[in-house]
Formats: sequence, structure tokens, C-alpha cells
Amino acid sequence: MSTIAERIAAAGTGNAIELRGVSRYFGALAALTDITLSVRPGERRAVLGSNGAGKTTLLNCVTGDFPPTSGTVRFFGEDVTTLPPHERIRRGLRRTYQISLLFQRLSVRDNVYLACRGVSRGRFSFIRTRASDAIMQSVHDLIALVHLERVTDRLVGELAHGQQRQLEIALALAGAPRFILFDEPAAGLSPNERGDLVAILTALPAHIGYIIIEHDMDVALRVVENVTMMHNGRIFKEGAPHEIEADPEVQQLYLGGGHA
Amino acid sequence: MTTAFSDEGRLDGARRGDALARWIGHHPVAALVIAVVVIFALWLVLAPWPAGFETLFGKKRLFVNALFNGVTLGGLYFLVASGFTLIFGLMRYVNLAHGSLYLFGGYMGYEAGQWTGSWLFSYVVAFICCAIVGVAMQVLIFRRMEGQDLRQTLVTLGLSIVFSDLMVWVWGGNAIQIDTPDYLAGPVPTPIVVAVRSSGEAVFLQYPLVRLAILAAAIAIGVGMWLALNRTRIGMMIRAGVDDRDMLSVLGYRVQLLFVIVFAFGAGLAGMAGIVGGTFQSISLGEDSNFLLASLVVVIVGGMGSIPGAALGALIIGLSEQIGAVYFQNYATVLAFLIMVIVLAIRPQGLLGKR
Amino acid sequence: MALVQTTGPAPLAIPGEERGGLLSRWVSRHSPILILGVLLIILPAVANSFILDQIVGWALILGMIALSLMFLAGYGGMVSLAQMTVAGVAGYMMAVLGTSSLPAISLFWPWWVAAPLAIAIAVAFGTFAGALSARTEGIYTIMITLALAAAFFYLTLQNWPIFNGFNGFTTIPPPKFFGINWKDPIPLYYMILFFAALSYVAVLYVSRAPFGLALQGVRDNPRRMEAIGYNVTAHRIAAYAFAALIAAVGGILLVWQNNQISPFSVGIDVVINLLVIAIVGGISHPIGPFIGAIIYVILRTFALDALVAVGLDGRRFQTLIGLGFLIIVLFSPDGVIGLWRRFTARMRAAGGSNGR
Repeated sequence: MSTIAERIAAAGTGNAIELRGVSRYFGALAALTDITLSVRPGERRAVLGSNGAGKTTLLNCVTGDFPPTSGTVRFFGEDVTTLPPHERIRRGLRRTYQISLLFQRLSVRDNVYLACRGVSRGRFSFIRTRASDAIMQSVHDLIALVHLERVTDRLVGELAHGQQRQLEIALALAGAPRFILFDEPAAGLSPNERGDLVAILTALPAHIGYIIIEHDMDVALRVVENVTMMHNGRIFKEGAPHEIEADPEVQQLYLGGGHA
Repeated sequence: MTTAFSDEGRLDGARRGDALARWIGHHPVAALVIAVVVIFALWLVLAPWPAGFETLFGKKRLFVNALFNGVTLGGLYFLVASGFTLIFGLMRYVNLAHGSLYLFGGYMGYEAGQWTGSWLFSYVVAFICCAIVGVAMQVLIFRRMEGQDLRQTLVTLGLSIVFSDLMVWVWGGNAIQIDTPDYLAGPVPTPIVVAVRSSGEAVFLQYPLVRLAILAAAIAIGVGMWLALNRTRIGMMIRAGVDDRDMLSVLGYRVQLLFVIVFAFGAGLAGMAGIVGGTFQSISLGEDSNFLLASLVVVIVGGMGSIPGAALGALIIGLSEQIGAVYFQNYATVLAFLIMVIVLAIRPQGLLGKR
Repeated sequence: MALVQTTGPAPLAIPGEERGGLLSRWVSRHSPILILGVLLIILPAVANSFILDQIVGWALILGMIALSLMFLAGYGGMVSLAQMTVAGVAGYMMAVLGTSSLPAISLFWPWWVAAPLAIAIAVAFGTFAGALSARTEGIYTIMITLALAAAFFYLTLQNWPIFNGFNGFTTIPPPKFFGINWKDPIPLYYMILFFAALSYVAVLYVSRAPFGLALQGVRDNPRRMEAIGYNVTAHRIAAYAFAALIAAVGGILLVWQNNQISPFSVGIDVVINLLVIAIVGGISHPIGPFIGAIIYVILRTFALDALVAVGLDGRRFQTLIGLGFLIIVLFSPDGVIGLWRRFTARMRAAGGSNGR
């Protein structure tokens, strides 16, 4: 009886991301303790917390960059806890990185092309892709989406910081993403570039949900429906942006010094 | 991620005894197998062999001799490889000129021995000469290209080509043998029975004293290094740097000092090993690449940057070469490489290496 | 020969004005390599057989084997010292399976059985070397592949039943087919030129194909490649297999050209020299290994006399090679290609300012 109920619960929740009892230890140090979190398809969620609260570790457990010490990770109902990162990517999960981890010695076009090719067939193909190929069309669409048309042929190593952050987002949008994890996308951006970023995020198709980790509350709270607050590797509050902003505990812990 | 490793490393050091007990608790079968193998090996060495054994393994004298030669050769390999592994662990480039330093030390020690007649003094000379070359390399070249591990490795490659040709120029292509000093010459009896005469009298193994002395010295140096790395401030800084590269940036300008000390020490050890090699076997053209390769294999098997790993790897490779030479002549050297391949396939970071 | 189809005058046969525009742009963009190709094709008309086989032919073969190293190092970031060994495995297998002066060991199978089989075995070895080192990162590769190369060297030296130990094999002739004896200098030269040009064009083409681009992605950032859906280890191993194919063909050409193979064809110094060739030429473009190879062969052939002529000991050849290598590594990380690029950039800058 209970097993059937469990199975229905597991398969039928319809959640995009479902973490149950996820913990992650580094030696004796607990980076995450018993995290249970669900995010609906298409939902946009911010994860906030001070430095060392475990936000990036949480993303790493979801993507499989390193596996959780205990607990399960489900992606659209499927248990992906033990799958390697590239298998999760092929199921429609994407992420961006806090420090730009791009291909510095390749052009912008090649970077986006690799991302598109990575989630399609023919990764090992020895035949060059023609300019008329459908994949090249989507490469140029993505470059246009993040406003990088004018630097398509430049090497990534030569781009400005803000442009690298935009490219970072283009890589995460390649293929058919179902859910994206943004790790501090606004870090190091000028106020103007932050405006562009908010525009890009809010213009994403409605079916694509995301989790965003961000220090800049003005960016984070404008692009999400729900907020999860983390502290010392645990979740301590969830709610809508206006509730979180009004919460006295949150203000004391997180918004206090930095936001004044 | 990196902080995790240094955490584990520190735990490891502090509670080694605990860790052993825990390991046995987790792997009772493996522990039992290892214990049985160790006891069997001890019995094989110490007890006279029953009749059937000689037909299987040949004369016991041969086997025990190979065993002793393997262990003492392991001591020599450890002297060469421990410096190599520390340099790689801390500075992250492969010193392909390490074999040249070994050969250079052997030649300098030989010259010093010829001049002064003192075998022990020649060690001092070899250590100092090689340490000076090491410091010069670190200060003049490697400091200028820090963090570019491929370029640094290529430079060591170029240097090794030039060094080996220059040494041929100076010392020629002939093998040079370094004489054993009188007080260490000749064999000594050991309490190991190799055969029993028909009269019932036991025959004991005779083994060259100099090899035993050098093995003792290698063990002493190994223990000394381990203590220095775990108990002194500089040693702990080196260990921290090996475990976690980010620690180095905290040290600031002292990083360079640390690099120079480690390079000088590793080079000096390689130089001293050159004299050992010249006494055990001989020093000649080509020995530089032989000992570079031995260091590579020892360090790959034992684990990069780990002194206990270098000791374990040296022992395994020394034994496999000597036992291989007795029992599989056609494949003796290949046996060591086969061990390396198996270790790489099962544990890419080496037996005692950390990822 | 086939170079005609790839880089030679064949495109001239394409008619039509529009294509002519594209063609002239293509020709002007690739003019240095086209000129080089034409020169290599007409070389037998002017050069004697010593220059054909002992200088240019040898350089082309070494260039091919170094090209396989360049492919792994330049595009994949994996400096493999096992490529000469892959070539050596192919060469040895050709002698064992095919024809040699040792009927006790050689099987005397026809070349069209022996050569593909020898290549297959060598590719399997190269892939195995890749599988062993692909799971480790960066500089570790050099150590593992150097140790593997040494292992093969010692195996050939100590093993008599298969590798004939110290002596190795002699008299391994190139085949006869199409009524041509490929042992003759000019046919042998064209055969070498064909395979060298083919592997050059193949590497150049693959570098912009999905496989090659992904390899460069792995070089720049393996972790990110995982994060966008690639299996990095599989990609690295596949790159080793492709590189091994080129090295294996080079290895067979090498035994045909040398007419012998012994442990000293795959010794540590030879393995190291191959890396020297690739680095001196430059590993950012497939032409680099060929440049490095021709420099090496010319030095190797004439440096002895040159050293003696200026009053130095001719035996100091290795010091010369080592110093030259050091200078390149210290001052031009991208080898001769890097020097050439800097030179042309300066010329262009000078030309631009003169124009105004």
C-alpha cells in the first residue's frame, strides 16, 4: 500500500526539480543538511542566502558536478541522483557558472555551436556542419537573443566581462532546456548590463523554469515568483518575493547590513 | 572541493592509528588477506624451504637474494623518486631533468671520491652540487613561467637533452664504478637460512654490507622527511601546498622560498642517489633516462606528491624488477610497467595518491 | 598524385565565373600551402633520390607522426609521448606479419592483409594508451605516455620470440602493385607525399568538424564540456584513436622507407625528439609538425659537417638540438609558426603605415 503510494508520489508530483533529504559533507564539514525542495515546471525561483550558505553546493548537487552524500535528486520525476552531468544535460537541465567557464580560445559562434551540438546527435561527427544546417540557424538565433551578434567571430578570451556573462546565458539556453540553474548571473555587471540581464531573463519562454542564485536583490526579486532562503546549509524560509522582503527574520539575517 | 581534501588530509595525519583500525573494520576480508600474505612472505624468507618448493621456485638462495636486491634497489629508487614527487606535488611540473641530476651527482661524487678518497664526503659534494644546479634552474628559469606547467616541463626536457650531451662530453661514454669503502666492503652473514646441508647444518645468507647500509640510510632519510613534513613549520607549509594549491597564495612571497628549498632538496637527494647507483651498479650514459623512468613509474604507482606513496612505489618497482630478472628474463623490465598499467586502470591517482 | 585532387591544380578545371570568384578567394587565402604543394609535386623533376627519400621523404613521414602528436596536444591539450611508439607498433607488426629477412618470425602475409592488420593493432595500442591517460588531467599525460613508450622500448629490447630483441628486423620492402615497384625512389616519394598530404588535409578538416571543435572545447574547459552534454573521457579516447591512425600509417611508411626497424627506432631519445619536432614547428596549426620535421632532418643530416666546419665537435649535435629547443620554448611558445605569425603581423603593420 505504502509502496504504491510512494511510487505515485514519486512519479506523479510533476515537479521539475525535487530534492529529498539531500545532504553534502566535505570531510567533517556539512555544506548542505537535509534539503527538501520542489520546484514546479516553469516556476522561477530565487535561492538566497549569505556566503557559505550552501547555494552553489545545492546547484552542484542538482547538476551532478558532485553528488550528494545522501538523499535523492529527481528531475521531472526521474531519479537522476547517480547520473553523470552530461546525462542530466541531455534530459533538459542547464546551468550557468559563477566564474565564467567558457572556451577562451574559441570564437563566440564556436562556443554556442558546441553547446547546441552537445545536446543533439553527431557530437563525434567528422563531417563539418554546413552554414545552411538547422543547428547553425539556432546558433545565430541564440547569439541574437543575448545581443552578441556584433562579436560572433571574436575569440571569447577577448570579450568584455559583461559579454562573457551574456554568452554564459546563451550556452545555457542551447538545445531544448526544460529547467535552468543560474549561478550569480549578475556578478560583475554594470547597472546597464543588469537591466539587459533582467530583460533577457523575463523574456524567456514561459515553459522554461529556473532557479537563480543572486546577491543583487533588485535583480533576483524582479525575475522570480518564489524565494527560498538558505542559512548554514539549511532552508529556513520560503515565500513570495514581497513576503520575504517584509520578513523581519530575513531582514535581520540577510538584508540587514548589505541592503541598507 | 579543494578545501575538502585538505580537511581529509589533516584528519588523516592526526588520527592515522584510528584510520588503520577503521580501515580494517571496513575491509575485514582484505585485511585478513594482507595479513596472511605478510605472514606467508615472512615464513618464505625466514624458514628453510620444504622439499617441493625448490622445484617450483628454484634455489632459495636465488629467491632471497632477489628479494634483498629488490628491497635495496627500492631504497635507491626511493631516494630518486621522493624528490621528484615533492617537486611535482608542490610546483605541478614534471622535472624531466631529474635523471640528469642523478647522473650529475654520481659523476661529481666520483670526482670528489677520487680527490679526497672519502666515500662519505662525496655525498656532501654531490648533494651540494646538485642542489646548486637545482636552485639555479628554479631561480633563473622556472620562476619566470610560474603556473605554465607544460612550458616548464618542456624546459626541463630541453635541459635534460643538453645536460646529458654535455656529460658525455666531459666524462665520455664509458661506465664508471664507484668503489665501496673498505669498512663497508664484503658480505656479512644474515640470520636467514637459505639451505640445510646433508649434515643438518644450516647455511646462512651472506649479503653485501654496503647495500644494507644504504637501505638503512634510505629508510632513515624517508623517516626524516616524513617527520620534517609533518612536524616542522616549513614541512607543513609544503604539505599544505601539495594538498591545496590555493594555500600557496596565502603564503605570498614565501612561496618562492618554499619552491627553492624543495627543488634544492629534491635535486640534492637525486645527486646523492647518483653515488648510491654508482656504488650498486655503475654510472654511465643512458642511466639518466633509466632513473628518470624509474622515478616516473614509482611515482605513478605510489601516487603523486606523496612521500609514503614514493616509498611504497619504490619498494614495489624494485622488487618487481629483481624478482622479474630471476623468474621472467624476457619480460623483467616490462613487469614494472605492467604493474603501473594495472594501477592506472584501477586507481588513476596512484595507490596512496589523493584526487 | 592524389595531392592533385586535394590541394593541387584540380580546382582550375572548375568553370564558371561565380565559382571563379570564390575560387580565386580560396586560392589567395591558401596560396602559401598551394605553392608548397606544387613545389613538392614537381620536386622529383629536379631533386636526386637522396634528397627525395632521405631528406624530404623522411621529413614528411616524421611530420605525419608529429602531426598525430600535434592533433592531441594542440586541439586536445593532451601531450602524448606515445605517438612514436604507436608508429613503432605498426612498423613492428608490418615486419612480423609481412615480409622481412627473418623467416623464423615473419609470417609473410601479403601486404594488403599485413598493412591493415598492423594499422589496426597500432590503433588499438594508441587507443589503449589514451584510455589509460584520459582519466587524468594535464601534465600527468606526459608522464604516463612516456612510461608507456619506455615500456614498449624495453619490451622490444628484451623480447626475442616476437620482436627479435636488440637486432630487430631488416629487409621490409614496400609492395608492388599497379605494375609499379613502390620501392623505387620516385614512386616511394609520391606514396609518402600522398599520405602526408592526406593526413594534413584530414586534420585541418576535422579541426572544424563537430568532433574537432568539441576536442578544442575539452582542451579549454573539460568541466564545462561535461556541463553542456559531452562525455569528455570518450572524446579524449576517440581523439587518441584518430591520432593513432595517422601515426600508424606513418609508422608503416617509416619501415618501408628505412627498410628496417629495431628497438632504437622507438627508443626514449626518438620519442623525445618527436615532441621536440612538434613543439619547434608549433602545435597551433597542422603545418607546424612538418616545419619542425624538415628543420630536424636538415639539422640531423648537415649539422655534423657544419659544426666541424666552424671548428666545433661534430658530436655535439644533441646539445645543438637541445639549445635550439630551449630557445624556442623560452622565446616563442608557438614555435616557428608563432615566429612566422609575428613576422607577418609586423610586415602588415609596416605595410599599412607605409600606405598612408
